[in-house]
Amino acid sequence: MPVSVLENMVSVGLFEKNKLREIEVISTEFGYCYIKTALNFGFLTRKKYVSFLEEEGFELVAVREEEMQESYIEQCDLLELNALLYVPLRKLEDGHLLVAAADPQDEKLKTLLTGRFQMPIQFVAASDLDITWLVHIKRGEYYVKEAVFSLMRKDPEQSGLVTFTDPQLIVIFGAVALFVSFLFINFVKTAMYANVLFSLAFFFIILFKLYLSLKGSMAEMNEMVNKEEVQALPENTLPVYTILLPVYKEDKLIRKLIWNLRSLDYPRGKLDIKLLIEEDDDKTLNAVRDLDFPANFETIVVPFHMPKTKPKACNYGLFFCKGEYLAIYDAEDIPDSDQLKKCVVLFRKLPDEFVVLQGALNYFNKNENILTRMFTLEYTYWFDYMLPGLMSLDIPIPLGGTSNHFKFDKLMELGGWDPFNVTEDADLGVRVFEKGFKVGVVNSTTLEEANNEPFNWIRQRSRWIKGYMQTTLVHMRNPARLIRRIGWRGFLGFNFFIAGTSITFLLYPVLLGFLLVYSIVKLTFVTALFPDWVLYIATFNLVAGNTLMIYVNMMSVFKRRYYELILFAALNPLYWIMHSIAAYRGLWQLIYKPFYWEKTNHGLTKVSSSANQAHVVEPEAAH
Amino acid sequence: MLLFNTDANTILTLGFTFPSLVFIAGLVFVPLGYLYAPVAASIVMMAALFYQLLEEFKKSAFSWKLYTPLIFLLFTLHPMFVFAAVTGRRNAIVTLVAYLIFRSLFRYYKQPVTYHLSLASIFITCFIFTNYEFIWLVLAFFPFIFLISLEGIKIHQDDSPLFQYFEALNNRSQRRKLANRTASIYLVLFLLPLMAVVIFRGLNTQFAGSSTYFLDSQYANWRITGNRIVRNLISSATRNNFIYQSQIVIQGFILFLTPIFVAALVLFRGKLYELFTILAMLFYYSLMLLDYKFTLTLSYYLLFIPIGLVTICYYGTSKYSIRTASWIFGVATILTIGMGFYFFMHSDNEEEYQFETEMNGILDNWKGPRVLSESEQVANYITSIVSDKNKILVDDASAYGIVVHKGDLNGLILPHQKSFVTIVENPTIAAKYMLVAKKDNVMHNQTVLNAYNLQQMIVTKNLRTLLMYQTPNWAIYQIE
Repeated sequence: MPVSVLENMVSVGLFEKNKLREIEVISTEFGYCYIKTALNFGFLTRKKYVSFLEEEGFELVAVREEEMQESYIEQCDLLELNALLYVPLRKLEDGHLLVAAADPQDEKLKTLLTGRFQMPIQFVAASDLDITWLVHIKRGEYYVKEAVFSLMRKDPEQSGLVTFTDPQLIVIFGAVALFVSFLFINFVKTAMYANVLFSLAFFFIILFKLYLSLKGSMAEMNEMVNKEEVQALPENTLPVYTILLPVYKEDKLIRKLIWNLRSLDYPRGKLDIKLLIEEDDDKTLNAVRDLDFPANFETIVVPFHMPKTKPKACNYGLFFCKGEYLAIYDAEDIPDSDQLKKCVVLFRKLPDEFVVLQGALNYFNKNENILTRMFTLEYTYWFDYMLPGLMSLDIPIPLGGTSNHFKFDKLMELGGWDPFNVTEDADLGVRVFEKGFKVGVVNSTTLEEANNEPFNWIRQRSRWIKGYMQTTLVHMRNPARLIRRIGWRGFLGFNFFIAGTSITFLLYPVLLGFLLVYSIVKLTFVTALFPDWVLYIATFNLVAGNTLMIYVNMMSVFKRRYYELILFAALNPLYWIMHSIAAYRGLWQLIYKPFYWEKTNHGLTKVSSSANQAHVVEPEAAH
Repeated sequence: MLLFNTDANTILTLGFTFPSLVFIAGLVFVPLGYLYAPVAASIVMMAALFYQLLEEFKKSAFSWKLYTPLIFLLFTLHPMFVFAAVTGRRNAIVTLVAYLIFRSLFRYYKQPVTYHLSLASIFITCFIFTNYEFIWLVLAFFPFIFLISLEGIKIHQDDSPLFQYFEALNNRSQRRKLANRTASIYLVLFLLPLMAVVIFRGLNTQFAGSSTYFLDSQYANWRITGNRIVRNLISSATRNNFIYQSQIVIQGFILFLTPIFVAALVLFRGKLYELFTILAMLFYYSLMLLDYKFTLTLSYYLLFIPIGLVTICYYGTSKYSIRTASWIFGVATILTIGMGFYFFMHSDNEEEYQFETEMNGILDNWKGPRVLSESEQVANYITSIVSDKNKILVDDASAYGIVVHKGDLNGLILPHQKSFVTIVENPTIAAKYMLVAKKDNVMHNQTVLNAYNLQQMIVTKNLRTLLMYQTPNWAIYQIE
């Protein structure tokens, strides 16, 4: 007697028997019902499945609108509901318990539920996605609250719920008050020394970036993982790898996403991919439902809870993960096909203290317009040079938004992401160091979509810079403790790199303004205010700083042979003006809307990612 | 001393002084004393070069039993190496930086990663800031950069470069790649050095009113008074090698002086662009000779020796057997040392001549009483007469030797002080004495405080002076 709908499909020739065996193995490993495995591991399309059920006489009910007696669902655990895809609805007049199930022919489930509820069960068929949506909404409250408040409860010092602590406010307002007082006492001297201090800070932060880039460029000489090592990796030793894909209203990207995931060179039975969708995001849910080819990910619906941020969704997703390792990607990402294997090799090679690996990010639409070109240059030097530079100097690495690979147990130990931080990744990178662990950089690239629209770019960047400010404030609550934990080098590196990045963008327009007023407009009051030597230093620092940044941008083209971009590096001073606008916007939001997540619109590019993928050049040691 | 012992215009003094690396390197050793700081710096530079060469040779196929004594002999016996190390002049840093540039380029050829290229560009920047004329190295590097770009696009690798160029230029996509790659390598190599110069010129225009102030003013750049132009060389030539410094045969003469470089070319087996890289410094000399204004001191031939050594290290072991290569390397090194003696015996350069004389009589000098130099004698006299009330007007751009020997700035009125010009116009208001360059002093035309101007002041301003002390080149007058 068949025990699931899949076996029925096999018996009528709609499904291959060997696939069923594969499904059994995966289901046993993950603890899922067969239909969940079939629908989420790329064995079966939802359309085919629904039409088969209808042919078998099972009409799908709209379970989200069904009347429900909640006392039954309250007896069930969300993890089981999610794994076995059922939802108890209500007791019928004939004494049966009406249960909506994705597989109404699942006899094993029926036996289980009969025993649990001590009454006969009557199944109705419902969409697995609707069941998922319903069970998470009804039973996800505990988990979502954990996702939001767990870090704050376990380690309140590391939570960004409080943006400015009282001592920080005292220091900030004290410094402002002191500065204003000095201005009143001696306006000229105060302005003069402030100018020198700002311009020196600007220059030294850039000098540090150049140093980091040089250190990072040394990493090119030694590949962290080479192709031979990847090929030598025995498939049967590969662990389950979880991939989290937090999305919000990314319905247009779902098809691309599936193709990108399919290109990953990793056994599908070992891939635990979670698409994290917000409760109100029916657009994306329907896009998944309407797919006409098999999906290779599991959908998790994140119940509504403020703050509505990506880290909260990721934390929620953690409760459902099965992997030994975990990676985060965005919906539009195209990771190198061997990225997961490279990470497995590298995790096994590196000492145990390395608990996170960061992949390099780059863009598939780099040549779309000037902005995407500049963005590509920036990402290239950031991920190809600066992050390896930070790693070699043992300085906290702010993780990039995607392509982070974690050891799952260590991630849980760290407390996951801070849902109140809008650059939760950068914050987590620093926390990793604070807890005595390390972040490594893997030589594998993930291609993303570069923001090609200036206002969209400024929104995205303002969130990043605000997040850097938040991260600085969180970790600088107790500077002495931070020094104790990450050492002087880590402390200085953190301040130069993470705090320094926001500071340079805030200072840039001020210094540029002075230079323009003095050198071009030649306003006399500036020369009256500042002696020659102050202006000399300020001019030198600004011009030399800009030149060094152009140089760093230029360096970046070599590794990936993006030679055609080199002249665009000269536009970096203008690009930085956009950064400054974003920085001031971020500062304003930090004060008024610290947890507000500026959504970046994806899918604006007219460049096809698959077309570009063919042209991606694997960065290599030899040009 | 101007930076550490005064608070007047310190930043501007530093800001407009040509940021010569010799000067900056010397600053590190100031605690050893102003007189010895540059010497200490040059000794450290040469020691660093010695160490770097040994480290590099460790990776080669040559036996350490061969290269260690050879390099040791070069550094201890070759007179120009000793001269560079102990005189505190810029030969040491020029040689070290030249070596580092070529080493970075060779490393880049072996392992084309951005790091080596970036280091090469940083070293080229340093090179320009050791001697401004090296900026024209930009042109000498052109040929091999074109060829490296060709190497990168990988078409018809087995054919001749000319054919590869033909193919690349006739294919739109390859042409674009070639142009982009050439521009990229060129920009990365030269952006920093060129922008450094542009920034410096800009700052000079803005603050000193002349974009070339740092090059032309004797207060900003030591080369104005430190270097001799061809005319001076000819007029002061007493021996017989000055002619090589102004003629096209300079390359031949350099090769003659550096058998090790010739040996490197003999042993060389590599690609065309690698050969062009090695020859770049010779191209550079040709370029420089196009303009009579530029006179490189011939002592820079020294830098061909480390270039030759690093070439042998990278490219000298595959053409012949290691035994033959070792013989050639060894003989060339001995010959190079011999040529070093030859050069000194025939040098026209005043300091080199002086050095040779000193070295010849080193034992006698050591035993005999210490003979004070002219600068030291003048400095001692100044120390004995000046005080805070009785100051002396000195132009340190021309009389730097005297100021250094004095050891402090007490009682001196120097050009970096804002009041200097006023006091020169009317010395009686603040100065009690003035140090004047006599007519035969080679610095006579480099300073306002010279015998001619003194005469003019006596006539036009009715200045009354009294000669207190004089040496062949300097005179100290009391102003009454």
